[in-house]
Amino acid sequence: MSPLIPTPDTLPVPWGWFQFLLLLTFPLHLLLMNCMLGSTAVALYARVRGGESGRRLSYELAKVLPALVALTVNLGVAPLLFIQVIYGHFIYVSSILLAVFWLGVVPLLILAYYGAYVYDFRFPSLGRQGTLLLATILLAFLAIAFIYTNNFTLMLVPEAWTAYFRNAGGTVLNLGEKSLLPRYLHMVTGALAVGGLFVALFGRFVGRRDPEAGSLAERLGLNLFTALTLLQVLLGVWFLIALPREVMLLFMGGDLLATGLFLLGLALVLAAIAAGLKRRAVLAAWAALPLLVVMTLLRAYVRAGYLAPHFSLDQLQVVPQYSPMIFFFVVLAVGVAMVAWLLRQAVKAGGKGQAF
Amino acid sequence: MNYPVWYLPGIGGGTLIALIAVVHVFISHFAVGGGLYLVLAERKGLREKNPGILDFTRRHTKFFLLVTMVAGGLTGVGIWFIISLVQPAATSLLIHTFVFGWAAEWVFFTVEIVALLVYYYTFGRMEERTHQAVGWVYFIAAWLSLFLINGIINFMLTPGDWLADRNFWSGFFNPSFWPGLFFRSCIAFLLAGVYAFLTTSLLKDLELKKTMTRFTGRWVFISCAAGLPFGLWYRAVLPNEARLLVDGASPTIARALEVGQWALAALILLSALLVLLKPRYHSFSLSLGVLVCSFLLMGSFEWTREAARRPFVINGVLYSNSIAPGEVEGLSARGMLASARWAGQKDVHEESLLEAGEDLFRLQCYACHTVGGFNNDIAIRTASMSYPVMLQYLETIHERRYFMPPFAGNAAEKRALAAFLVAGLHGKPIEAPAVAGGPGQAIFEGNCAFCHDEELVRERIAGWPREKVRRALDALSSLDPAMPDFEGSPAEKDLLADYLASPPAAGAVPAHHDPGEDVFESHCAMCHSLEGSANPLLPKIRGWQRDRLRGALDRLEQLSPAMPPLSATTEEKEALADFLTHSLQGGQR
Repeated sequence: MSPLIPTPDTLPVPWGWFQFLLLLTFPLHLLLMNCMLGSTAVALYARVRGGESGRRLSYELAKVLPALVALTVNLGVAPLLFIQVIYGHFIYVSSILLAVFWLGVVPLLILAYYGAYVYDFRFPSLGRQGTLLLATILLAFLAIAFIYTNNFTLMLVPEAWTAYFRNAGGTVLNLGEKSLLPRYLHMVTGALAVGGLFVALFGRFVGRRDPEAGSLAERLGLNLFTALTLLQVLLGVWFLIALPREVMLLFMGGDLLATGLFLLGLALVLAAIAAGLKRRAVLAAWAALPLLVVMTLLRAYVRAGYLAPHFSLDQLQVVPQYSPMIFFFVVLAVGVAMVAWLLRQAVKAGGKGQAF
Repeated sequence: MNYPVWYLPGIGGGTLIALIAVVHVFISHFAVGGGLYLVLAERKGLREKNPGILDFTRRHTKFFLLVTMVAGGLTGVGIWFIISLVQPAATSLLIHTFVFGWAAEWVFFTVEIVALLVYYYTFGRMEERTHQAVGWVYFIAAWLSLFLINGIINFMLTPGDWLADRNFWSGFFNPSFWPGLFFRSCIAFLLAGVYAFLTTSLLKDLELKKTMTRFTGRWVFISCAAGLPFGLWYRAVLPNEARLLVDGASPTIARALEVGQWALAALILLSALLVLLKPRYHSFSLSLGVLVCSFLLMGSFEWTREAARRPFVINGVLYSNSIAPGEVEGLSARGMLASARWAGQKDVHEESLLEAGEDLFRLQCYACHTVGGFNNDIAIRTASMSYPVMLQYLETIHERRYFMPPFAGNAAEKRALAAFLVAGLHGKPIEAPAVAGGPGQAIFEGNCAFCHDEELVRERIAGWPREKVRRALDALSSLDPAMPDFEGSPAEKDLLADYLASPPAAGAVPAHHDPGEDVFESHCAMCHSLEGSANPLLPKIRGWQRDRLRGALDRLEQLSPAMPPLSATTEEKEALADFLTHSLQGGQR
């Protein structure tokens, strides 16, 4: 075990609760992030492609983009909180090593977020600058994804942390990690694919007002989804073999549950591709949503596999106090009810409110 | 200790936290108070059936959305990022202690976002009562976010019973929870008014502008009036040390509070001008002036609150440099470098003295001090200190300045840090530890030099035979009851007596021979220069006669609450008074 790994603080309830909450909230964040990334990419493509319906589709997507950014950020807060509770002594260290980039996520997000609002509010007067603006937003998102991939892989490899002694200024990247590039491409491609599916479904909704833009959205979105999911099969294999041998073997019979999930994932990918080829967006969504959850579970196995020589969650000490957790669950129930009520009122009110 | 230190010596992590935090609190309090403003402004429009007011409220909502959701929400994430980068140990403790508090806060944040989006996008399309209800949901969720964060922030200042029982609720409902909550609520309502001055200034319809400026002015005045008693209550619940710091013992708090007072006065004056006296002066630029005043006021409050818990980041639990008070003793025994996981140097060697010193600086001082940066520059603070004085200062740093944590580490590490601060930063010489005076001098430095200037000791015993010196070393407390007996072995006492009874070795004593200057160096120079950039002393005492100076040295603490009493002997004070008098006369004797 590396002497550089900090001593963790104690937990108020057993780690399983935090792992559960992490794996519950993280797919929601991913889903919103995928919609955000996919909408941006398709909005840009539709704009560059030209034509009146492409322009209108680009605007329709722009109108939902700020809300998607807001919700993606919001739903990212919860998993980032829970991962700090059980893996804080890893994620803090890696964050510090690449602190400049990690902190850079905030200005990049502010840039993209305000960019999205400018694109929405000033759409009619933007002209060519609109394309440039959207491209900037997309690049900012892709840069953020790259920083995240660096941080969430660097936290797994304490052997690489010695880079700190050559560079304490917070500009270390985890470029020596073999799985970095395939992992990044795997995540981004998957996100764009699911985002494409979102655009296709969104197209049905747009189609009620604007059939031309709606069908364009469905077509572009489904094409993106199917093509990228096919590509994903190749990237997934690359990612898998780039993993350290012991981690890869977890999915090859080394761990029964991990192997089962891996096979389930493969089946869902095939189902998603089939549905995509048959142009059945809703069916594809029924395959993609559980796939997203399965992928987060597989990701948790990869994490545990990497850290196995150094740490397992069983090592965390508990000094029990349950009442704050009960308080949280009560607040969560009330909050979910409030959000449901708000959305119902918004839908009832009609108009732009239906966008949510 | 436990975590690596992100090292940007010219900028400082504290500076980054302060920058992001001040911007965030300035927006996030607006996000709370402004929510109520929206609901009540809309209600006013509905009741008076005034489409102008409703249209203004809708536009103000857009402004509110863009400021609070984007800049407010993301700087909030930014704070979270930066505190875990700069204060990972404290952040980890707060996250692990209050995880379900943070999680509940996240739920309210979610409700806030959804409510605000619904409120904005359905303005004018939704049934009126329902739309008002959505606004109320937003405001209540935002205020509950404040409720939760307030508990955790005030925990850092006054952990209260948590220190004994480690119970979530004891820490959350800590002694400053309620005054903090009410005080912050007042700030939130104040900012609701201040920001609305901006949007009301843009109204074209003069009658509407007057109505809404009046409405907005009420928020500012009532919040200022209500905030005052809560502010005093807040001060009253502070622990003794923190209250002393707030009342003037901390020079930086004194400065912050001064800025805050002026900002408050200017804010009230400008607002009165806009609202009561000359509404036609109400322009965007004047409103911006009010906004700047409120920003300074907010900054002054947050600075004071943060600085009041020094030397701790979590009061009584963790020093600002992430060392726990209970760890200091062990670190002094085992050595800091050997204990810290992320120290590059694991030991002090003479050939890597400066490197080890810089590592120690990074681990123990950098949390608050930059090197050559804007914030709390260590180079300015140490400019006039010599190596022996620095060594001595590190020994008792936490007693001399309440807001400094103690040095944690062994004797070799103390030398390394002093060497870095004196030679590394300023290129000044460091006397080698095994010195010309031999083992006797080493014993003197290890046991006497913290309280005694060598030259003054030599003056005091001038003419004593060696035997008298030796005998005195057996019974120091009989010479002066304030002096502890020397615990050394007879052999050590012999060596020390030899050393003191013989003439000083060449080079062992600093080149200058004004004993008053030595006293200045060891007692004043950590905060004052004579006439340099660091709080110059001579301009403050220009024209003083020696008697007045000498008298002042006996009651420094009465001259300014930021000054500790001068803990020096009468002879040292006389020497210092001589030195300062001569310095005032241009250094001529």
